[in-house]
Amino acid sequence: MRKWALIGLVAAALVAATTVPVSGQTGSLRMAIPQNEGALNPYTYVTGLGWNLMTLVYEPLFTPDADNIPRPWLVRRYTTSRDGKTWSFTLHPNLKWHDGRPFTADDVKFTYEYVRRNTHSRWTPQVRNIESIETAGPTALTIKLTTASSGFLAQPLADLPILPRHIWESVTEPRRFNNVVGSGPYQIAEIKEGQFYRLVANDGYFGGRPKVRELVLPIIRNDSVAFTALKAAEIDTYVRPVSPELVAEFEKASGIKLARGAGYVSTILQFNLEHPLLREVKLRQAIANAINTRLMVRLLLLGYGVVGSPGYIHPDSPFYNPEVTFTANKAKAVQLLNEAGYVDRDRDGIRDAPDGTPLRFTLLTLAGNPIRVRGADLIRTWLRDVGIDARVLVQEDASIIAQVWPDFDVCKGRKFDMAVFGWSAPVMNRTTNLRDLFHSDCRFGTINIGGYRNSVVDQLGTDLAATVDVAKQKKILFDLQKVIAMDVPIHVLFYQDGIYAYRADKHTAWVYQKGQGIVNKLSFVDPPKP
Amino acid sequence: MWRFFAGRGAQYLLVLGLTVTLNFALPRMMPGSPMIFLAGEDVGFLEPQQRAQLYALYGLDQPQWRQFLTYLGNLARGELGYSFQRGRPIAAMIGEHLPYTLLLVGLALVLATLLGAALGALAAWRRGGPFDLGTLGVAMLFESVPSFWLGMILIAVFAAGLKWFPIFGAVTAGAALSGWPMVVDRARHLALPLATLTLITIPGTYLIMRYSMLAVLGEQYIATARAKGLAERVVLRRHAVRNALLPVATVFMLNLGFVASGATVTETVFSYPGIGRLLYEAVLNRDYPVLQGTFFIITVSVIAANILADLAYPFIDPRVRRR
Repeated sequence: MRKWALIGLVAAALVAATTVPVSGQTGSLRMAIPQNEGALNPYTYVTGLGWNLMTLVYEPLFTPDADNIPRPWLVRRYTTSRDGKTWSFTLHPNLKWHDGRPFTADDVKFTYEYVRRNTHSRWTPQVRNIESIETAGPTALTIKLTTASSGFLAQPLADLPILPRHIWESVTEPRRFNNVVGSGPYQIAEIKEGQFYRLVANDGYFGGRPKVRELVLPIIRNDSVAFTALKAAEIDTYVRPVSPELVAEFEKASGIKLARGAGYVSTILQFNLEHPLLREVKLRQAIANAINTRLMVRLLLLGYGVVGSPGYIHPDSPFYNPEVTFTANKAKAVQLLNEAGYVDRDRDGIRDAPDGTPLRFTLLTLAGNPIRVRGADLIRTWLRDVGIDARVLVQEDASIIAQVWPDFDVCKGRKFDMAVFGWSAPVMNRTTNLRDLFHSDCRFGTINIGGYRNSVVDQLGTDLAATVDVAKQKKILFDLQKVIAMDVPIHVLFYQDGIYAYRADKHTAWVYQKGQGIVNKLSFVDPPKP
Repeated sequence: MWRFFAGRGAQYLLVLGLTVTLNFALPRMMPGSPMIFLAGEDVGFLEPQQRAQLYALYGLDQPQWRQFLTYLGNLARGELGYSFQRGRPIAAMIGEHLPYTLLLVGLALVLATLLGAALGALAAWRRGGPFDLGTLGVAMLFESVPSFWLGMILIAVFAAGLKWFPIFGAVTAGAALSGWPMVVDRARHLALPLATLTLITIPGTYLIMRYSMLAVLGEQYIATARAKGLAERVVLRRHAVRNALLPVATVFMLNLGFVASGATVTETVFSYPGIGRLLYEAVLNRDYPVLQGTFFIITVSVIAANILADLAYPFIDPRVRRR
């Protein structure tokens, strides 16, 4: 018995004492990610973050710069016809695929046609408007559009990564195809399902040498474990933002730096505008006035965030209308409710509509997101103060989607009262964002999950989608923000700042992309010289 | 004898049939659709016919009964299908995750059973003494500790603090190791999740062994053995422990069947790539084929463990043989 105990102890000590060298190469960066991203090719990557990683391997023709403005990347020169319908491009010469084959205009034409045939939720809608694509030699091509389109430069040009024709042309089930030959600054060297990805720099890259020689992407499933690993220098950065309560701790930690900037992720109170009570604008305005969003930013985000703009657009966006402002006022809320005849008729502490229906609502919120759960609870308290009863229902993502956005198809209607919801950063960056969010036709208002209807908004949205001139786009968006702020189809609560922590000894050339964070192509490779 | 086995066989087939049906039905009864995981984040921008095309691609446009028949047919051919989300064959995915789970959960079960039985026997032998009361208290504590919390504490102390062990994963990511360094690397990564799982599994075995042992120690044959003048050690080992181990063996057999189901919470805390984690992510992603596939493997292993227990029991307990 004693003998075994001794052997056990020695074995344990051996195991504990042997330190395994951690891939020790200089220029190796360990960047933890929270979940699998398939084979990191255009049809298998999973999240928005995965898109950023995938575009290190597969490249779109253009790339958004630090201000999210699309800049030519694989393209050297381009021209647009006066009517905005004809786009001509000249590619960089000497572009190559990772397997050594030349990258040509033919690959571009193939890809744009491929995503039209093989449905991809992101790209198939983006190429809908293309009428024809003609190549002229290996580096020249012309794309003709059916109608002028405001978002064409951002999507698909700066969004759709080009596939190698010689590999993909025979692929009929792209979602089951795990090939990883791309043309980008990084090549995939190793994928261990559920464990890690390893990418190595493509030194023959046409745009120059990538900034980091090797990227190791371990999957860490839990945020607090990931941040512990960062502090213990087991990883060099974690791709998710630091939660507000950890910021002070990381500011003090040695060897760790923080990159901070605007966050375009929105947190909103979404109304169901088909609800018999919530369709009344006075009630929605009253609810908005009862919610102290300033205090929310202080309590929930510890100040690391921006109070929501009533027109949805983030104040740091070039399209933000500074004249559209809103300050919550509880007395105003009470006044609005009284004026509209919402008074407590049965003396139960809850106001009733003129027809006697009590102002009782459910408020859905996401279980996995503590900030939203606490936010929902604050809203419940504040609404109670003005005589409105909101019952908070905390549920997991798929259940919430099933009620708020069944099958992710706005045309299928909705079954909820109110929800603390949110949109990711790319929604803010879409040129047509306010049309997508508020157009009453579900083919255009593809994320109008509240079922909002306003003919003025519909007209402005339609105009916006067909406007190529940026100054004119801006004017339309300014008008849209004004109408939205009056009508309150959603109430924007706040935008959480993006705060990212990284170890300063490994990589410092991080580029903060406005509203999005530091995990983007510009952090790993400089834009190619034209 | 043969009739007995035929009866058991029929029972197992019935159980298998029922669980295979439940495996199909349960994931589909959950609220929420797999659409976003088929289509990705921008699913909202798809046109109706493109959605329909996607559903058709995965056979989800078919009526439920036809999907069920397809599923049964595939299962009969040993075909588990493809993951909705990852586009990979499920057999390959399970093949990658299962070894980690068998290593982690299997080893934890063996260790916890051995340690739990030994501690339980000693505690009962010295009933009321400081060892008994001490281990009982500690066992109660670990019995009630959530594994998530215990894992975080072990990480904070032994990984982040003392730096004896790594914080996450099953291997050092990106390090090309082979031979002994690889074995050592895996052992170091295994240590903390194994410790977590073992520590929370020990109390069950310990408590069963302790009570079983107390019951045995009150039996007449123990008094007889002592009266014969046998040494205390012989009484403990040969007469008391051997008989008291029976319930522990039963529990061990039962647990054996669940080894393949993994330890979701522990695997999550340590980012250990086991079956429990695969299953959990499949639930979140409404990845029906992966759910069906992993549940099927778990069902089969539970049934296999039961068959094993049925076969082994006559050897462990001679009384069963005589009946």
